[in-house]
Amino acid sequence: MGRKAHKNDSLPGSLDMLILRTLSRRDLHGYGIVQFIQQSSDNALLVEEGSLYPALQRLELNGWIEGVWGVTSNNRRARIYKITAAGRQQLAVETRKYAKLTVAIARVMGAE
Amino acid sequence: MLRRLRYWIESARRSETLREEMELHLAEKAAELEEDGITAERALAEARRRFGNIGMKREESREIWMTRFLSELGQDIRYGCRTMIANKAFSALAVLSLALGIGANTTIYSFMESILLRSLPVADPGSLVVLNWHSPPPFNANKQWAHVMHGIQGIAWPGAKGVMFSGMFPYRAFETLGAENPVFSTLFGYFNGLHHNLTIRGQAVSADTEYVTGEYFRGLAVSPAAGRLIGPEDDRPGATPVAVISFVTSQNRFGAPANAIGQPILVDNVAFTVIGVAPPEFFGVDPAAAPDLYLPLHTNVLVDGVQAARMYPDGNFYWVEMMGRLRPGVSMAQAQAVLAPRFHQWVATTAATEGERAKLPALILNPGAAGLGSLRRQYSKPLYVLLTMVALILAIACANIANLLLARAAARRREMAVRLSLGAGRFRVVRQLLTESVMLSSLGGAFGVLFAIWGVRSLTLLLSRGQENFTLHAELNWRVLAATAALSIVCGLLFGLAPAIQSTRPDVMPALKSSRGGGPRGRVQQVLVIAQIAFSFLILVAAGLFVRTLNNLHSVQLGYAREHILLFSLNARQVGHRDPEIATFYEDLRKRFESIPGVGSATFSQSSIISAPRTGQAIKGPMKIGAVTIEGARVMAAGPRFLTTMRIPILSGREIDDRDQPGSMPVAVISARLARTYFGNESPVGRQITLPEEKRDVQIVGVSANLRYGGLKNEEENAMTVFVAASQFPPDRVTFALRTAGDPLKFVQSVHQIAREADSRIPVTNVVTQAAEIDRTISREITFAKLCTGFAVLALVIACVGLYGTMSYNVARQVGEIGVRMALGAQRRSVVWMVLRRVLILAAVGLALSVPAALVAFRLVRSLLFDTRPNDPGTLALAASVLLIAAILAGYAPARRASRIDPLVALRHE
Repeated sequence: MGRKAHKNDSLPGSLDMLILRTLSRRDLHGYGIVQFIQQSSDNALLVEEGSLYPALQRLELNGWIEGVWGVTSNNRRARIYKITAAGRQQLAVETRKYAKLTVAIARVMGAE
Repeated sequence: MLRRLRYWIESARRSETLREEMELHLAEKAAELEEDGITAERALAEARRRFGNIGMKREESREIWMTRFLSELGQDIRYGCRTMIANKAFSALAVLSLALGIGANTTIYSFMESILLRSLPVADPGSLVVLNWHSPPPFNANKQWAHVMHGIQGIAWPGAKGVMFSGMFPYRAFETLGAENPVFSTLFGYFNGLHHNLTIRGQAVSADTEYVTGEYFRGLAVSPAAGRLIGPEDDRPGATPVAVISFVTSQNRFGAPANAIGQPILVDNVAFTVIGVAPPEFFGVDPAAAPDLYLPLHTNVLVDGVQAARMYPDGNFYWVEMMGRLRPGVSMAQAQAVLAPRFHQWVATTAATEGERAKLPALILNPGAAGLGSLRRQYSKPLYVLLTMVALILAIACANIANLLLARAAARRREMAVRLSLGAGRFRVVRQLLTESVMLSSLGGAFGVLFAIWGVRSLTLLLSRGQENFTLHAELNWRVLAATAALSIVCGLLFGLAPAIQSTRPDVMPALKSSRGGGPRGRVQQVLVIAQIAFSFLILVAAGLFVRTLNNLHSVQLGYAREHILLFSLNARQVGHRDPEIATFYEDLRKRFESIPGVGSATFSQSSIISAPRTGQAIKGPMKIGAVTIEGARVMAAGPRFLTTMRIPILSGREIDDRDQPGSMPVAVISARLARTYFGNESPVGRQITLPEEKRDVQIVGVSANLRYGGLKNEEENAMTVFVAASQFPPDRVTFALRTAGDPLKFVQSVHQIAREADSRIPVTNVVTQAAEIDRTISREITFAKLCTGFAVLALVIACVGLYGTMSYNVARQVGEIGVRMALGAQRRSVVWMVLRRVLILAAVGLALSVPAALVAFRLVRSLLFDTRPNDPGTLALAASVLLIAAILAGYAPARRASRIDPLVALRHE
């Protein structure tokens, strides 16, 4: 079964990094994360909303984030995600990788 | 991995969490969209659209928690459970027949495991070897004994072509092989001391005794539960008599192992000191025995008297068994290559004549990891036969379920077609169906284990009835359970595969179009039914043969009474009664037993008649009438009124009675056949038999009818028997026999009381009815016949259920055809016949295939039969007719149903 290419698949694994980065600023629930990414990228990055949840599960399984039940600004029960110490380390790793990659790509593009 | 597992376990809760999270997300999105001025309804739809496929996302998330395989397995299991619950009758039937089949297999396998496969509970059993020897047949052309072995204490067993095998050696052979042995780190010896009177704190019991050399415990690498074990310093002439007792004995008699250390005990009135207790799991080297008492080899001189001392230097008397532990890196073949010439050299020096030199024993080494082979020799063949039978039963059960599943697969064709056409992979559907069948078989296996628990218990009971102290511990250990689990899964795959493949054939369109009818003719089903019938026939024939064997054994003419006789044994000599007082002691006891109300007469003899050959002759040396030596006669020491009590007719003269006292003229009663052989038509009464070695003559005072002396199977009928007076040839141990009114076991209490009053130190052992004592000698055949009958019934029932299911399915499939036939004027009778004819054809094909198989297969079990040929036509015919009748009964219900089909209803269906 072929799956449609995700909008954020231009850089594989970047969704995880974006989530971690978002959560490193503040604790948020799923919808909030989507909103935050869209707003802070001036709507350039559109997270396919459905893909968020599998990603959150994966991050939680790896022990990088932690979900606890809390209450949203609208006073609704929601699962609020926090980044863990391991998550911050991972974020650092991914940020470095991302930086290397973008520099490399920039060089290639510049060389052309 | 652990985390995954925890996630998987919590997956239900997590799934709920995820659902709630996603709903919240959708709600918030919708709210946001609503703010942009879209109606609530459309906002929600838009939110959904943007979110993507919710179900798939959930699946994806779940996949993160656990592997896809596990998640699909979970689905399959849930679906399987629903299917099972939806088809309760089918599932129950399948699980039940599997449980019976798997239970029977587990039971038999656990016995095999304990008898044939299990290792001794000692360190590194793999490096133990048993020493045996074999030699050409010991009799020369004149049927005379010509062999370096002049005497043996223990057993020798015959191999192919009369070759003699034994594990007994002279003590000097043990010394020769043990000296500076380059291949064994230890060589140790032992012999079975049988029963001795063990007195602890004034209380006497009969204890199984094992005499062991000083290296025995070190060689087996056993550590004591308390104290220390027998060492080389304890096993030499003149050493302080010490003993090691079994763990059970220490618990029963001293309360705990530690309490036993240093305690004095009496073994046949000889004082010993307990120095140690063997570990609880230790049972010596023979899985068929469990000694209560281990004594240093050389103490047999103290316990058994001077004749024991004579055995040590005698190079022609075989009595010590040996085991060795191989040095690291030495193989059994290497050890044999070193030791065989050494033994040969030694044994050649013990040969006195050319005849003896021609038949010298040759040493052979056998693996000793599982201990001695006596049980293996006796039970391995029956166990293999039984295992074959239960495997066949399981095969029948599997065929049965495969058949029912095939029928169901036909019914589920539509379901499968729908699933396949919706895009399910064929492999995925097959896997789902296989999950269902493995679930069935696992459930069957689980219940089978329950059956097996019961089966092991009852089979142990059945087997142990034949033995005084039964030591076989079959148990459902992890190895047996692992085998059962593997068996269950294999069964599930076996019976599930064919139906799964058939029901997922890719041609989905016809199945989707038509709702019923059609379908393949079910050739697989017919093959399965034929196989079931063929297997059942084999099992039926086996049962028939073994039941017939048992009947033949039971109808053997004994020549003496079987019912209403109570037997029990006493050994007064072991507690210190001596000649001539011992004769009066036994006689006084006899009179007291006879005075119990309800006891018609009481007597005693050296043993029961059935086990008499094992206790040996009552006299030493040959018997002569004038110059003629009596050949092949058996001599038994019997007390007064023996013939009366045993209901052996007195043909002339008198039986042995109170008049025959130690000091009076020795007397004998001979059997009719002996009288006829040596005295012709003359009356033997009043004639003399001379006993040169006893330096006495006995006078014949009577002639008894012939009787079967010894076991039912191998002793020649109407053996020549000589009864001598027990008062004049006193045996050590006697077996009393009471002729009772009603159930003999009612008198056990009084017997114990009287024996205690006479001498409280003597234990009464082996209390048993004569009938049970006789059955004990054929316990293997009884067990076998019972088991086989049970298995045959089981096989027949399962096969009939299969036949019934197949025929019912066929009838259901042919409703239309039968309807047409009936509409065209077919009689009900002919419809019934049509169905039954198919049953009979299937049965006939099954029989035709299995009769030749039976003829070949049962030749292998000839040695287990008695007076019955493996191709016994009566048994074959009986088995065939039972099978045909059962088949007709199983086919009749569907046939009747077919004849009740209303043509109108049937045709409307088309």
